[in-house]
Amino acid sequence: MMRVLVADDEAPARGKLQRWLSEQADVEVVAESEDGLSAAEAIERLKPDVVFLDIQMPGLSGLEVAAQLEQETAPLIVFVTAFDEHAIKAFELNAIDYLLKPYDKDRLLKTLSRIRARPADGSARAAVATARAQTQSHDRLLVPVGETLQLIDSATVEWLEASDNYVQVHTTARSYLLRRTLHDLLEQLGDRQFARIHKSAAVNIAAVKAFTPLFKGDYEVQLRNGKVLRLSRRYKDQLFGRMGK
Amino acid sequence: MAVTHLDLAADKQAAPRVSRPDIALYFLWAMFWLLMLAVGVQDYVRNGGTRIWQPLLWEGTSLAVATFWLVLQRRIDRRYAVYLDRPLVWIGHHAKWAPLVVLSFVPAVYGIRHGVYALVGDTYRHESWSYVLLYESIKLLIFYGLWMGLIFGFDAFARTQDQRQRLLALQKSLAEAQLAHLKAQLRPHFFFNALNTISALMQVDVPRADRLLSRLADLLRATLQWGDKEITSLREEIRMLELYAQIMQERFADRVTLSWNVDDAALGGAIPALLLQPLLENAFKHGVERSRDTVRIEVEARRNGEQLHIAIRNTGAILGADRQEGVGLRNCRERLSVLYGDAAKLQLTPLGDTVEASVTLPWQEHRA
Repeated sequence: MMRVLVADDEAPARGKLQRWLSEQADVEVVAESEDGLSAAEAIERLKPDVVFLDIQMPGLSGLEVAAQLEQETAPLIVFVTAFDEHAIKAFELNAIDYLLKPYDKDRLLKTLSRIRARPADGSARAAVATARAQTQSHDRLLVPVGETLQLIDSATVEWLEASDNYVQVHTTARSYLLRRTLHDLLEQLGDRQFARIHKSAAVNIAAVKAFTPLFKGDYEVQLRNGKVLRLSRRYKDQLFGRMGK
Repeated sequence: MAVTHLDLAADKQAAPRVSRPDIALYFLWAMFWLLMLAVGVQDYVRNGGTRIWQPLLWEGTSLAVATFWLVLQRRIDRRYAVYLDRPLVWIGHHAKWAPLVVLSFVPAVYGIRHGVYALVGDTYRHESWSYVLLYESIKLLIFYGLWMGLIFGFDAFARTQDQRQRLLALQKSLAEAQLAHLKAQLRPHFFFNALNTISALMQVDVPRADRLLSRLADLLRATLQWGDKEITSLREEIRMLELYAQIMQERFADRVTLSWNVDDAALGGAIPALLLQPLLENAFKHGVERSRDTVRIEVEARRNGEQLHIAIRNTGAILGADRQEGVGLRNCRERLSVLYGDAAKLQLTPLGDTVEASVTLPWQEHRA
């Protein structure tokens, strides 16, 4: 069974997809979302296999929603758009599914059969990566706050602490637990602002106050908030090189 | 885009050889010399002279040589145009010619006079050469200074006019470019989304799909007929808004109510084409597309003495400090300031749970 989420801010547009998808024996529409944020929440909560994601939505656009997903675990994404030359060019380059409004039933069926035939070929990864490249996804981070999701400014993040498949995001005010890998999070945030300091931690370069050498080439990293972390030899050269040391 | 328009403006500037200020200058020159001739003749007659050709020759030779220098000045004048913004430099550049003008003047004028007198078998009598040189030089310098001042005034005026014209052309092209941009922005997203809505509705509600299709056709027709009108009547503008709103209402039927409060007396007023479109779009974007409750949108227009006042209000969106002015609103503001300067204003005001965008324009009757 293919579990599908439909996200579009316009009721008739959602109705059309819902109707045609429901006619398919192997498709189940698990939820409909009216805006980007609730689409992201529904993806987190329901873990659908496929998301039909309208690009032009209020608050968080479809591209911004996709940019905030973890690449490894992201559902297959079919972007739906009325007109967005930029994004469409990027989709074509990366072989990502998209539907141009208005589309007919045949076109939708073609998309569905392509999804059915597709082994796990990494197109979900490509969709997330493309969406990240198309948006300012390194500036904003979607974090869980209780039952809902909230966007925070990535500049307020001081450091990131990984444990298994979770990352603890420490900001000036508080910390958030994200179900994502540190690797994926750093890929989204980009290496301009954040740097890995050892296997399970990364810092916001702007939050670093001082380095103190330890033995064997390791360093102690002191943050402006007083927190002390360890910089392992493995990541030292890369970090110092970037900081112009 | 802007560069092309600048080039056009430069071409226009180069076209006329004798510009309007030049004609005025030559006219003034002619009047001045007519006066000099009249005074010369009168003076000669009052002193008991009988051979009228004599004063005519005296003044005429001065006129001929001075005109030669004026024409020369007009020819090379453009070279010094860049200094018009700095009068002292401009005057300096002209003053350096003064000695040559003065020194060439006396030999030329007196040479011609002696020649003509010799031709009629007479002798031209005048004071000693040193006295003549001194007297004519002083007179000429005063004359030279007076006319340089006049020419400076004419040229500076022409330059100011020219700059004004270019600025206006530039502003106009800017406004046109913004309009084109606006139209381009309006079409694709909106039209394709509307088509998709029709495609969705025709499966379940044929009359509604049909209605939406003909509204969309009306709007498309109106847009195509629009041409390059920069200014339109409020009547036309409101008609476009209505078409747009009707289509949006079909798309978000469950979530919006619209009311129109347009004073008939205001309908004939002139307004920049598609000025209100982005404001109504914002009302939908920030109200309807963001809120789950039913949103009310009100459009109000009235004539307020010498002003046209339009307000578009929507509920459902609180104007937060973080809400930036979008492209649409900024465009409106720029078009208003290009077209009306400080006489028009656009304000965004929160009123409880309502946001009001209000436009005030100087009243002008629209002439088609």
